Amino acid sequence: MDLKETIKVLAETAGPSGNEDAAAELALGMLKEYCPEAEIKNGNVIGRFGQFSDEKPSLVLDAHIDQIGMIVTYITDEGFIRMGNLGGIDRRLLPAQPVVIHGSRDIKGVICSVPPHLNKGDSEVLSFDNAAVDTGMSKVELEKIVSAGDSITFDVKCRDLMGSRITGGALDDRCGVAAILRALDMLKGQETAFNVTVIFSTQEELGERGAKIGAFEIDPDIAIAVDVSFAYANGENEESCGYLGKGPMVGISPSLSREISDKLISAAKASDIPYQIEVMSGMTSTNADRYSVNRCGAKTCTVSIPLRNMHTPVEVIDTADVELTAQLIAEYIKEG
Amino acid sequence: MKGLLKELCLINGVSGDETAVRESIIEKIKDVCEYRVDNLGSIICFKKGRRTPEKKLMICAHMDEVGFIITYIRSDGTLSFGAVGGIDPSVIIGRQVMVKSSITGETIYGVVGTTAVHNLSKEQREKAPKTDSLYIDIGAADKAEAEKTVALGDNAYFVSEFTELGETKVKCKAIDDRAGCAMMIEMLHEELEYDTYFVFNVQEEIGLRGSTASAFAVAPDYAIVLEATTAADIDGASGAKRVCELGKGPVVSFMDRSTMYDKELYRLAFSIAAEENIPCQTKTMVAGGNDAGAIHVSGKGVRTIAVSVPCRYLHSPSCVIDMADLDDSLRLVRKLAKRITEI
Repeated sequence: MDLKETIKVLAETAGPSGNEDAAAELALGMLKEYCPEAEIKNGNVIGRFGQFSDEKPSLVLDAHIDQIGMIVTYITDEGFIRMGNLGGIDRRLLPAQPVVIHGSRDIKGVICSVPPHLNKGDSEVLSFDNAAVDTGMSKVELEKIVSAGDSITFDVKCRDLMGSRITGGALDDRCGVAAILRALDMLKGQETAFNVTVIFSTQEELGERGAKIGAFEIDPDIAIAVDVSFAYANGENEESCGYLGKGPMVGISPSLSREISDKLISAAKASDIPYQIEVMSGMTSTNADRYSVNRCGAKTCTVSIPLRNMHTPVEVIDTADVELTAQLIAEYIKEG
Repeated sequence: MKGLLKELCLINGVSGDETAVRESIIEKIKDVCEYRVDNLGSIICFKKGRRTPEKKLMICAHMDEVGFIITYIRSDGTLSFGAVGGIDPSVIIGRQVMVKSSITGETIYGVVGTTAVHNLSKEQREKAPKTDSLYIDIGAADKAEAEKTVALGDNAYFVSEFTELGETKVKCKAIDDRAGCAMMIEMLHEELEYDTYFVFNVQEEIGLRGSTASAFAVAPDYAIVLEATTAADIDGASGAKRVCELGKGPVVSFMDRSTMYDKELYRLAFSIAAEENIPCQTKTMVAGGNDAGAIHVSGKGVRTIAVSVPCRYLHSPSCVIDMADLDDSLRLVRKLAKRITEI
């Protein structure tokens, strides 16, 4: 598989929280190459990988399929679309941002930007109460295509930056989905230490809701949440960030299983895979928080791909980190 | 005119670096008029009409767009930049940009990133960003890698696609003022009643520099400035604060921040619009400015009028206009050019 192309096509397919269908269908098609029986269950893409046997512990590989976005709440008499947020969005960057509204068909729009003469002194940051989308259409035209509850995403293409870095709009967490697919590609036809189930889960950005029901459904002994975490850049606190290009970030936290963290680190060392340690002091704000306390509990760990500008239309990753993340996951699953 | 506007808007030409725009325009007009490029880079065209008027008429628009210039390469490989022209930092943060490398001659992508929203304090989330706290990230690992591609003084541009919105509206960067350039290219391909000068100016966005020199060179008696101007007919704006509105035709101002327009020409524009059934509007706030500011006080003075296309989100990567307004502006300017010469 061409990893960079896989990441790009996944990131350019819309799947805002609660409306993941397009991205989920695409990911399902990709997963079926490795898990022929894969299916979509209550929104989550779920597939069993390889031969299962009663002697092996069960392990879930999770990445969330949803992305941040907006949702249509109202159409004004003048034909502007009012909206609410899906997940955490930096409102400072909304003005004049191009968007796609996923109505009965996709239409394009621009978030209204208040010109300087209408601002009192310093330009104010838009609140979602007064943010609106301009589609160039009247209310009557719009109502034929758009309804309250339709979702909105930023209109952005993935672009190559220097070296192996890329930018795009939904790299959180489509690069995690791609890392898992790449790991399965490496494991194809090989013995595994676990009964492996893959879950591409919905609604992570709204509070890890898809993972909660996916975890219950599969009831794993071990779970690995493959997500993104903060990469150091201007404006970030270096002490709490990883670095782009230095490999996957293995989580260590009171809410995670130290046994699994240590095994992942050993696997990285044994195979000379560069890695970084991400220490958290409580919950992780990833799907790991759901798996660890599912049913009777699961040993859980995070493996995170470093990412800059999280939850913006200009997220940046190093695709080399995605490849290294896949290698680490594959090594661990092979050896246990 | 839509195809022409799209082609012009997608060319990158920030103030002081208009070469690509100029080359494209010259290619389009070289067979239909006499032209020369002045010392600053503006194109001064002269087209013969059926008759030679007593008074000299100049029609102009500017080629440059707002953008960025690289001022420093930081140790982490990110680029500090200055805004060229007035740009609200709110439309810079979280955007893709293109950097044109003077070293390789190629254009590379970059982004203007920001601290993740998760890591901003409540106060920071409500505070609009400042340009000097923003950086362009081209994906370079460090300063040495960035320096292989980017030199100080290189320009950067907004990345924007030309998108149709609804039946008649379009969105792109640089509509200010490629819309004016498109109208002039159309007119240059038409038979004219009177001899006319057409000037494609440089450096409007950094203080009307190109028009200052070209107006002196042409020394016209009358001038028509073709522009795009701020429309604020957006959600939540009412009454005078809308300034002007899309779909209501060309905008003819009585006054803006740089010019008190010629009263006879102002009245003439509206009477032509009424006679010809062309929608036409004025601005309901004294705001903005354009090359008229330099032209009307050039030499012994030039009787000046501006005809502008109303444009939402001016100076952002997502300018929005109604193509009907551009067509109506051109119709008005054609008539105006003829009638002014007969005053």
